[in-house]
Amino acid sequence: MIRVKKLNAYYGQFHVLNDVSISVEKGQVVVILGPNGHGKSTLLKAICGLAEKTTGKICFNDNNIIETSSEKRVNLGITYVAENRELFPHMTVLENLKLGAYAKRARPHEKQNLEMVFDLFPRLAARIKQVASTMSGGEARMLAIARGLMSNAEFLAIDEPSLGLQPSLRTEVFNTIKTINEQGITILLVEQNIPQISELASKVYVLEEGQITFAGSALEATNDEHLKEIFLGM
Amino acid sequence: MFSEDTVLLLYEMSDVLIAGLSNGSVYALMALGMTLVYGVTKAFNFAYGDFFNMGGYFAWMLIIGLGLQFGGYVTIFIVVLPMLFGVGYAMEKFLISPLRKRADWENRIMMLTLGLALFLTNLYMVVFGVKLKSLPAILDGILEVGEFVFSYQDIMIFCLSLGGILLFGWTLNNTRTGMAVRAVAQNPAGAKIVGINIGRIFAATFAISTVMVGFGGILLSQKLFINPSSGGAIMVKAWVVTAFGGMGSIRGGLVAAFIIGIMEAFVGWIFGMSYGIIALFILLLGTLIIRPQGLMGKGE
Repeated sequence: MIRVKKLNAYYGQFHVLNDVSISVEKGQVVVILGPNGHGKSTLLKAICGLAEKTTGKICFNDNNIIETSSEKRVNLGITYVAENRELFPHMTVLENLKLGAYAKRARPHEKQNLEMVFDLFPRLAARIKQVASTMSGGEARMLAIARGLMSNAEFLAIDEPSLGLQPSLRTEVFNTIKTINEQGITILLVEQNIPQISELASKVYVLEEGQITFAGSALEATNDEHLKEIFLGM
Repeated sequence: MFSEDTVLLLYEMSDVLIAGLSNGSVYALMALGMTLVYGVTKAFNFAYGDFFNMGGYFAWMLIIGLGLQFGGYVTIFIVVLPMLFGVGYAMEKFLISPLRKRADWENRIMMLTLGLALFLTNLYMVVFGVKLKSLPAILDGILEVGEFVFSYQDIMIFCLSLGGILLFGWTLNNTRTGMAVRAVAQNPAGAKIVGINIGRIFAATFAISTVMVGFGGILLSQKLFINPSSGGAIMVKAWVVTAFGGMGSIRGGLVAAFIIGIMEAFVGWIFGMSYGIIALFILLLGTLIIRPQGLMGKGE
């Protein structure tokens, strides 16, 4: 579904990604691990058209979209869920969700996607009138994921969804991601440190200093001594 | 109960009040447009007042220049408002938005709009001459309620600008584009994520604000004159309303606009018209000293 070939990304003077190549097949959950500040978020943003400057190839269903604008990519079915959520702070939960369905491809499905999202996050359904800026960290995270789902995406790039959450909420978020995936949405997930990846991931990449240093199955990742120590906390 | 003089004074005061309200409603419309552009694009438009005159001149061109035969102001609105939208959209898209990609874009846009203001002022002088132009009243006649007398013109101006404000508010809250405008104002990064074309929203916002101030120009130029070099003063007035109301506060801007409109009318009535602008600056200074965040601003 997504094939990234020799992707380079720059942020101002910084060369953030260096010849990164990854691939995500339809229906998979692919996890990118790596230390903070080594380019994980930039990789997701680059795929979604939100990175400042990129060169290389990003193929979505065999079409190179590296020059395609972010709004057109959303319309193709590629949606980014930001680590810092990027909600609309003075709008209600419902308004945030409705804006999630702004893209043309999402408009006809707005109603059924709202129902789907409320099924997935009953807590949001109870708070449709609440203003986003008054939500707790966990709720805001859920709203961000829910808003992403409203775009009717085929491919979701989710950036550190567990960051700053207490363990019970983390498990909840990962279970939700699993459910979303089971509904047929392909997921590329960035994480720093998750023991849970083995049951979630079809494939694991490790990104260090802007380069892919490991690629393999979840099982291989959990058996790798270096990874175990650094990222898996085992 | 009252002496005859007191009653006469009361009638006269009601007259001044109505004039203040009708001016105030136009100021509210203008201040709203200014707040909108600043809130969404984070850039200040120094040519704002010259778009007020553009509305006036476009209307004058139609009604006097071309000798409009039918429809009167309805035709003017149908023709001129889309023209203003087009001009505003094109200016944002071709002049302002290329600057946004550069470093230090705020200052560049400021300089550009300052230049644009000078250009438009001089363009008006060349095309229309330095002599003041005037527009006919949208509706002649007076409405008598008991002993009180209101001019239809003031009532129409008040209703039309209030209608414009309500339509604007409704659009912002109930249409997809309006939601997108608010989204960009609140969080441009988030807006990009949900697939909003930010560049198009910037241009649309600029265009809508051009329509709002130009519409104000068509309305108010019936009472004042169209003066090619008055753009700066009008921009300042819109800015004082915005600052007095509280930068970014729509409700504050509305309240401030009516206070300023009424204040100006009464100062003009008591001391003479030319004192209005002095009162305006005293109010601005007072605001900046006593309550820099404005009436309803959120402060630092």
